[in-house]
Amino acid sequence: MKKLLALILAMSMALSLVACGSSSDDTGDSGSGDASSSTGDASEGSATESEGDASEAEAPATGDAASGETITLTVWGAEEDQTLLAELVEGFKETYSDYTFDIQIGVESESTAKDTVLTDIEAAADVFAFADDQLVSLVNAGALQSIDEMDAALQNYAGKSVADVEAANSAGSVTAATANDTLYAFPMGGGNNYFLYYDSSVLSEEDVASWDSLLAAASEAGKQVGMTLASGWYNASFFLGAGFTTTLNDDGTTNIDWNGTSSLGYTGVDVVKGILSITGNSAFMAIADGDISNQIASGSLCAAVSGTWDAEAAQAAFGDGCAATKLPTFTVAGDQVQQGCYSGFKLIGVNAYSENVGWATLLAEYLTNEEAQVARFEARQLAPTNLNAAADDAVSENVAIAASAEQDVYGVVQTVGDKFWDPTATFGEILAQNQLSADDDDAIQAALDELVSGVTAAIE
Amino acid sequence: MNKLKSGLGSVGQFFADFGHAVADGDIFVKLSLVWFGAGYLGRKQYIKSIIMTLYEAAIIVYTVLVGIPYISDFGTLGTVQQESVFNPVTMKNEFNDYDNSFTILLFSVITLVVWAFALYTWIYNVKNVYRLQKEAERGKHINNFREDLNDYINQKFYVTLLALPVAGVVLFVVVPLFVMIFVAFTNYDQNHMPPSALFDWVGIKNFVSLFGGGGLTETFGYAFVRVLGWTLVWAFFATLTTYFGGILMSLLINGKDIRGKAVWRVLFMITIAVPQFVSLLLVRNFFADNGIMNTILANIGLTGFLQDIGVISNSYIPFLTAPGWAHVMIIIINIWIGVPYQMLIANGVLMNIPSEQLESASIDGANSWQTFRSITMPYVFSVTGPALVTDFVKNINNFNVIYLLTADFYTTTNQAMANSQAKETDLLVTWLFTLTQDYYNYKMAATIGIIIFIICALFTLIVFNRVVARTGEGDFAS
Repeated sequence: MKKLLALILAMSMALSLVACGSSSDDTGDSGSGDASSSTGDASEGSATESEGDASEAEAPATGDAASGETITLTVWGAEEDQTLLAELVEGFKETYSDYTFDIQIGVESESTAKDTVLTDIEAAADVFAFADDQLVSLVNAGALQSIDEMDAALQNYAGKSVADVEAANSAGSVTAATANDTLYAFPMGGGNNYFLYYDSSVLSEEDVASWDSLLAAASEAGKQVGMTLASGWYNASFFLGAGFTTTLNDDGTTNIDWNGTSSLGYTGVDVVKGILSITGNSAFMAIADGDISNQIASGSLCAAVSGTWDAEAAQAAFGDGCAATKLPTFTVAGDQVQQGCYSGFKLIGVNAYSENVGWATLLAEYLTNEEAQVARFEARQLAPTNLNAAADDAVSENVAIAASAEQDVYGVVQTVGDKFWDPTATFGEILAQNQLSADDDDAIQAALDELVSGVTAAIE
Repeated sequence: MNKLKSGLGSVGQFFADFGHAVADGDIFVKLSLVWFGAGYLGRKQYIKSIIMTLYEAAIIVYTVLVGIPYISDFGTLGTVQQESVFNPVTMKNEFNDYDNSFTILLFSVITLVVWAFALYTWIYNVKNVYRLQKEAERGKHINNFREDLNDYINQKFYVTLLALPVAGVVLFVVVPLFVMIFVAFTNYDQNHMPPSALFDWVGIKNFVSLFGGGGLTETFGYAFVRVLGWTLVWAFFATLTTYFGGILMSLLINGKDIRGKAVWRVLFMITIAVPQFVSLLLVRNFFADNGIMNTILANIGLTGFLQDIGVISNSYIPFLTAPGWAHVMIIIINIWIGVPYQMLIANGVLMNIPSEQLESASIDGANSWQTFRSITMPYVFSVTGPALVTDFVKNINNFNVIYLLTADFYTTTNQAMANSQAKETDLLVTWLFTLTQDYYNYKMAATIGIIIFIICALFTLIVFNRVVARTGEGDFAS
């Protein structure tokens, strides 16, 4: 009896080891499985084929390979998108009712999709939503299917070409979904930028035009103006406004010119001095990244820089006085310069290792077409990138989305690599803590040089 | 040293016996060099013979089908880059027969383990068959299959018991460990991510660049030294403060004049009952720049006072957001988290102190400090010494406390650190997490992992040999 007990204990111990190690086992399995199933012939050129396929557009029943079997697909979308996704997937099945689908829907936040997908590309969903700043990493890792290559599938089944998709969406969103001159994803929504929420019972429209008048008015009212500085996404707005740029190289490294002179003739030092004159004002509150909603709710602010996701928090805090507008101007070398911003987009991409990559593309297209974008705006107030959907009255009447669109005029598509984030966050924190003196040009220049060397570092 | 000699000796003996068996064995023993089942067949152990033959066949099939294809690519880790072409007719991507460096690495390691095991069983098998031959010659009884099986639940029960755990350890500890060690010698990173790209061997380049040999960000070596320094400082203070804190707390609660001992004990246990991530995230928010603590201190005027005398430059106390402040706070918060565990351990030990020693001390007129210093502490230390060493190692890798208190919360203002994705409060293990999780720098993560292992192993070896072995319980028994 004792021995039996000991044996059971030993087995359970071994089993627990098995349970702990299962993840490493999974990678091995999926790796070998896909390797053995890849028996394709690479010499078959489809680029030439797709040209001639336009004539076949009226007869979608190309080949009987797909008609009989069940097409299995997995979609990952944000938590708040789940109900909508389920409805859209049903619509997709109806549209292509000649075929049998088995479509699974999973939850994966758009902001963390890259991390999950890159952990094991072959095990990731066929179709997934992600934020546009992840595009480059995903493309470099070979995780995204080039949509340009899928022109034939789109024409045969959806009746539209890649060019049609590009024309239907705003130019900025298409740029954001493009890398190396190739479209890698379908734009799903926009308005992922930041602007100024303010309490119109405290501040007038003239007050919010520039940081100087904004801070003066806030100080008079005994309130503060909040903005996140310790994040490259936010603090870049000052540099972008003054004409500085970031660009991306093919190898994923970032170019940044913030330590030099911009196209508008301002130097990086001038811009930093402009920021320091804001952070030095006691009416300015530097807010930690991700803490803005809490700070708006705390009631000590009369204005805050944030995006559409804080619309409810702003509405609750500012009540009837809640208003939103583009970002203010700030002082650079004596001039008033409009603060810029990065325009962010939400995209839906197709896994390059999908078993049914053609159908996955069609599903991604369906999830981002005009009707889907209108439905998504109604469900979660995500600004449409589809030009027809964006022209809808309901969209333009939304306060936050209107302000977002107003700011978007000064926005640029975010083209930065992974190395951008840590150095710029640190630089913003230095500014937030007033560790630089506005009189010390050399120290500011040195800090900018250090920033640039960190951002431009090679990816190892 | 003697242990090492005897260890080497037994390995030598293992091979010597094998040579002996091959030289002196009969035809069946010699035949089992190529056919595992031959020896048993000769001794009429048919079932065993069949099992061993099948086992050999399985190894050969594995070697031919899986082992050799992967091992042959082990030197290059694959040469065929993935390419795919979309076929609009089947609506599928058609891939070439591409190599996946990681799969090659993984299966090569598995194959090496399988081969090592096969080699061991081959030698063991020959020796075993030779033993059977000897027994047969001496006219002893040869077990039949049922008797052999019976052996495994009687005389050799330990083998049965250990079989599964050992298999589990090999599969899920040894194999991943070796894969990770190998990764440190490759360029597996963001630019070389399977399946779309291949990675390759780079020798000891990663170790060279870790110690400032270039090839990484200019500041990588700078960051490494600082992170390593803080890791050691942290491990030292975190271990000592919780250790002595726990003992003092336990002495206090067990003191003669304390009432409601159970209540106190339970109160301190509550920090253990609440999951660490909950309590740590709460504490982090307490001490945030705009958190409750700062609000209270600002309201009672302490913040203003500190600002006036120039201790802080902001309108808040940067408990967890400035170097120095954060370092001290993390150690203090860790005391709160860690002391209850040590208190529990110390409690048990204190109850077992031989009472005659304490009594004789009090008769001799020792005061409580002398008793503590000369009796309690040495006793507690002799029992918990090994635990102290493991605690130190555990704290070197104390991911929870550091990560939950600082991740996405502490922004460094040291640009050189930021340029290498590190911050002042990072331990080696949290930095390693950032590098793998956010930057897919697997090769450097594996390299740092090996360095952490070496540090921990060296420390443990030295301390166990010098301190723990000397203050064994033997001193106390006398």
